Amino acid sequence: MGRIATLIASALAISIGLIVLVGLLTGSTLAGLTGLVLQIAVITAAMTVLIGVLNLLILHLRRIFGRERGIIYSITLVVSFLLVIALYVLDQPDARRVVLEDVAVSIESTLSALLVFALVYGAYRLMRRRVTWAAVLFTAIVLITLLGAVPLSQLALLEQLRAWILAVPASAGARGLLLGIALAAIIAGMRVLIGQERAVRE
Amino acid sequence: MTLDQIGLIAGFVCTLLIFSYLLGDNFLYRLAIYAFAGITAGYVTVVTVESVILPWIRGTFGSGDPIGLVVGAVPLVLGVLLLLKSVNRYQRAGNIALAVLIGVGAAVGLVGAISGTLLPVMRDTVETLRPGDNAESNIALVNGFIIIGGVMCTLVYFGRIARRGPDGAPQRPRLFGRFISTLGQGFVVIALGALYGGAILTGLTILSERLAFIFLTIGGG
Repeated sequence: MGRIATLIASALAISIGLIVLVGLLTGSTLAGLTGLVLQIAVITAAMTVLIGVLNLLILHLRRIFGRERGIIYSITLVVSFLLVIALYVLDQPDARRVVLEDVAVSIESTLSALLVFALVYGAYRLMRRRVTWAAVLFTAIVLITLLGAVPLSQLALLEQLRAWILAVPASAGARGLLLGIALAAIIAGMRVLIGQERAVRE
Repeated sequence: MTLDQIGLIAGFVCTLLIFSYLLGDNFLYRLAIYAFAGITAGYVTVVTVESVILPWIRGTFGSGDPIGLVVGAVPLVLGVLLLLKSVNRYQRAGNIALAVLIGVGAAVGLVGAISGTLLPVMRDTVETLRPGDNAESNIALVNGFIIIGGVMCTLVYFGRIARRGPDGAPQRPRLFGRFISTLGQGFVVIALGALYGGAILTGLTILSERLAFIFLTIGGG
């Protein structure tokens, strides 16, 4: 029974993948069907998001009703979730704006600001753990990128060096990374379409 | 007190709660993080229902067309199958919904990788060898060769770390291959270093904005 279900899942993934691929590449014969399949996939993906949120809520409600450790955090999460839903249901656009822009965006941007400390500490740890040529090059490039951004006339040479590094070697590395990612995505896609991907088979 | 003033105070308090992490992981920081998770989950739910699911239901079930009803039910059935993945007995039924997502994702990813990344990046990289007829064209041409060489070395480096022998260990290339691969690693390190530096600069900009917000709010500006 399990084997049949696996076979059906594999056949479904391959056939749907091929329909979408042909539809997107040719754009004519299967365009309508491809559009419908894509819409169904988008709605299904939206359902997975809702299932994820539901799972989060169940987890925290269990913690609240089970009076487990960290109950105050779970209450905060559930209350803030219900607050956003309530403001939407009661149609309060101004209050919604306050919650989303003033609270959520404040927290988000402050977390991004905290990232500076983590990044600087990470670079420091890199040089402390093991000094390799790659670590030295990495730290040198980080320093040039940072110092080159300082608008001082004494650092004009560093500014030019930074501009050249960003435009030439860093650009070459980034292009290589992008091409590598694209090639890996193509291989992964092909593996699914020929039924070799383990995620579909199991 | 107006709604804007409440928002200002709430934003100020939340900023301080998050900055309290600089003193170490603490109760106030965690409280703000959990509130943020709840707000984000609520916002994601609202946007998903309002912008994706409701228009679909209105367009299919609301049409009254029998075919529309069947088509409209398909993602809902797939959603139920996904829910069944959490039930041990019916776990495999959820694979059908996952198969649809993986099949569509693979095809879209394949087309996107070819037409959205592979071809444009290759075209753009080759274009660096056509600098034009201005005075700095020779320098631009040298830079173009460095870029092309860098891209090739980077791909060789990826090929080297991906190639493995029968025992699973990375295969050791010959001297020339090792040299090219090391050059490629250098280009990757430079790219990542530049990105890292850029991330620190962006973080510093946001940090200064947050600090300015705190001082302005305290000063009543």
